[in-house]
Amino acid sequence: MSIFMRLRRGSDADLMGLGAGLVLATPVLVGIGYAAAASLGVAGPGASEAGVERIERVLTESATWRGLGLTLWVAALATALATAGAVLVAVLFRGVGWLDRVARGLAVLPLPVPHLVAGALGVWVLGQSGEISRVLAAVGAVRMPAEVPALVYDRWGLGLALTMAWKESAFLAVIATALLATRSLDVEEAARTLGAGPVHTFVRITWPILWRGLLPAVIAVFVFVAGSYEAAMLLAPSDPLLLPLLVADRASDPDLGRRGDAYVVSLLLLGIAVLAVVAHEWTRARWEPLDP
Amino acid sequence: MTGSRAATAFPPPGPGRVVRGVLLVVLVATSLGPLVLLAIWSISGRWLYPSLLPTEYSAASWRALGTESLGPALVTSGALAVVAGLVGCMLALPLGRALARLRGWRRHVGAVAAFLPVAAPPLALGTGLQVVLLSVGLGGTATGVLLAHLVPAVGYLSLFFLGTFTLFDARVEAEARTLGATPWQMWRHVLLPMLRGPIAEAVALGFLISWGQFALTLVVGGGAVRALPLEVFSLVRAGQDRAAAVGALLLVVPPVVGLAALRWAARRTTVAPA
Repeated sequence: MSIFMRLRRGSDADLMGLGAGLVLATPVLVGIGYAAAASLGVAGPGASEAGVERIERVLTESATWRGLGLTLWVAALATALATAGAVLVAVLFRGVGWLDRVARGLAVLPLPVPHLVAGALGVWVLGQSGEISRVLAAVGAVRMPAEVPALVYDRWGLGLALTMAWKESAFLAVIATALLATRSLDVEEAARTLGAGPVHTFVRITWPILWRGLLPAVIAVFVFVAGSYEAAMLLAPSDPLLLPLLVADRASDPDLGRRGDAYVVSLLLLGIAVLAVVAHEWTRARWEPLDP
Repeated sequence: MTGSRAATAFPPPGPGRVVRGVLLVVLVATSLGPLVLLAIWSISGRWLYPSLLPTEYSAASWRALGTESLGPALVTSGALAVVAGLVGCMLALPLGRALARLRGWRRHVGAVAAFLPVAAPPLALGTGLQVVLLSVGLGGTATGVLLAHLVPAVGYLSLFFLGTFTLFDARVEAEARTLGATPWQMWRHVLLPMLRGPIAEAVALGFLISWGQFALTLVVGGGAVRALPLEVFSLVRAGQDRAAAVGALLLVVPPVVGLAALRWAARRTTVAPA
């Protein structure tokens, strides 16, 4: 049965809901469509006849694959660090005492900080003459900035990953804290009543609940970091370029004929985002069906 | 089950007070430290390496706020964010309600569609939007930038209202209709009063999403719309740290106040649970 026949059997509510979804997705779908057309050479700068030369050229460039590798590495590292931090806060400060409330409040503080400000803070804190370097100098660990490992524009993107982990850990901490407050108490109580120790209870009960509940948010954080532009501009290395920076670089290439290459890289980024969105919904639906 | 029961019956497994203490120190240093650093930078005068703190202080960067680029950029960002919050909420409310009425596989399709503009990398999204907005003469204009900001804002807020209406008791609506209310009367006298809290939260969220937008403003505005994030970025890249810190503080304060307001409002949400 075709999707249209199924829809015809559905109610007005289904049609309105799917129409709403179409309205919301249209800007992204237009962006994907235009990027695809520009990648095939029929739209955008330097457009002529349809062909796959642009796609071939971009996909055979080592800069693309090294950029993709660095993008995925930074996103994975930042997401792992942010998840670890969020889980630690949620598990260690889950009580109702003032100390627990203060700790949870502190953990959430980076949440509203814009990515640009996070990037600027990364420069001022992690740079070779930044605050960490000054503290090290104050305790006599270093004498000059050059002795401090470079974490800004460093080839492994460590400064960027640390900055994004700081920023995104707040989002994950909110969710992890809420999960432990609402989902785990009954089961933990049952486990403890049956004689399980604290460590056993954590490994068998608390962690699985946390992990399954956090997974959709973890995927969201991964894709946010992978697509981040402003913090990457301030902290990421110039070789290889992260994919968002590669898009900007190609879009301003002095050779007008190569500017269309930006759309091929853009398609790669959008592809990662679409995969992440589907994975997000799939993992979220397994844990918490949307139907009331 | 209450939180206090959890705290007394199940203390955190494993690490004890020492680990909690260490983590608390780390939290203070990593959460408050950077914001304090911003404040110090903004009033610093002479601050050479390796001094931990400035050796001289100055309010010159703050005094320059009214005369240099940050002041007008603050006004531009504020105006864009207020309109994006209000318009985004007005658009997202019916969209989120429509999504919430979907069932089964259609509901997952709806949720994916709403999440797409949220997850799409702003630069990749911006390159597509730029072409469309240029073709209708809105490239490089504040209206074009506003429309671009609305794309992720409406996505976020539709997801927000999808969650809100999932908790909403649809029987209230049905009863109003049974009593003869027209759709307009139902919205005016039933839904909107009940949703006052979530609507206020959504407007604040929409404001924050637009407030921090950098890539969309840069790509669609083409550098002609000088919002606060663009000015701060330029100052950081130019090494004008004091002025950049002032701008960064201006970018941080409204979201922090907004977050506090959201948490306050969340306790007063009036949505009737299903």
